[in-house]
Amino acid sequence: MRDLTRLQRQPNVRPLMEASDENLLLRQAQAGELGAFEKLVELHRDRVYGLALRMTRSEADAAEITQEVFLSAWRNLSGFKGENTAAFVGWLNRIAANQTLMRLRHRKVVSQIEASLEGPQFNERGSMLDEVADWKSDALGLTLDAELSEAIQLAADALPEEYRRVFLLKDVDGLSYEEIGDITGDSVPAIKSRLHRARLTMRSAIDAFYQDVESSD
Amino acid sequence: MFNCKDSIDKLLEYLDGEVAPDVKHHLEQHFKGCSPCEEFLKQYRETAPLCRKALLRARMPREVADRLTSFLRDALRKA
Ligand SMILES: [Zn+2]
Repeated sequence: MRDLTRLQRQPNVRPLMEASDENLLLRQAQAGELGAFEKLVELHRDRVYGLALRMTRSEADAAEITQEVFLSAWRNLSGFKGENTAAFVGWLNRIAANQTLMRLRHRKVVSQIEASLEGPQFNERGSMLDEVADWKSDALGLTLDAELSEAIQLAADALPEEYRRVFLLKDVDGLSYEEIGDITGDSVPAIKSRLHRARLTMRSAIDAFYQDVESSD
Repeated sequence: MFNCKDSIDKLLEYLDGEVAPDVKHHLEQHFKGCSPCEEFLKQYRETAPLCRKALLRARMPREVADRLTSFLRDALRKA
């Protein structure tokens, strides 16, 4: 019993169960515990790195941005009022999006692929002319065809820059329209209109993938 | 009555639950009578989760993760 008491008094030794509780880690980090913060970094660095990598398409930039994001998160942790992991993830994503866009503002992004937007075709009466493929997909299922994954990546890369940003931040990283507006300075209707065009383009790409599958069957 | 183009133009707001009741009614009438649009709506709805799944896979390379750890150790212990 006495040993246990002594253990608990040492700040760096925590029972295993507590350490696995992320909400507790968060509270400890908010209280200034570096060790707890380092564990949070470990849990969330892939997410932050991924956001930056998708937006900048540069591994070097993504690595630097991730450093800046966590440094900034540590410095501003006292201003973070959320109490759970979901709120923390949202907060981190906003910092990451902000840092990434600041960096992108300072240089022209060069895309190797010519940007394009796609959408369905209509006749003069507004009836849709496209025939859609059977996707055979299950968006909530566990597996995703590697080739489909690649087709999606190529299509996302080919989106015009301002559409790509909105699409990535909203549909992949889960920021809200308002959060995106705060970061980019764009109006919510403008963001929605770009997102819609981007989704139509991505839908076309996925559909084209399944049309190919059908015709090769 | 909405045609296909009207309906597709409204998909995002419809899925966000942000269309007025009369617009919602027009849309649902159209989807009921137009199987291409009904199918299109299904695909449009699946697009974001599929893309999310395909694109949310990035893993930080080991050496980058190690550099991040030592960078933060340095910077935070100084701060
Ligand atoms: Zn229709």
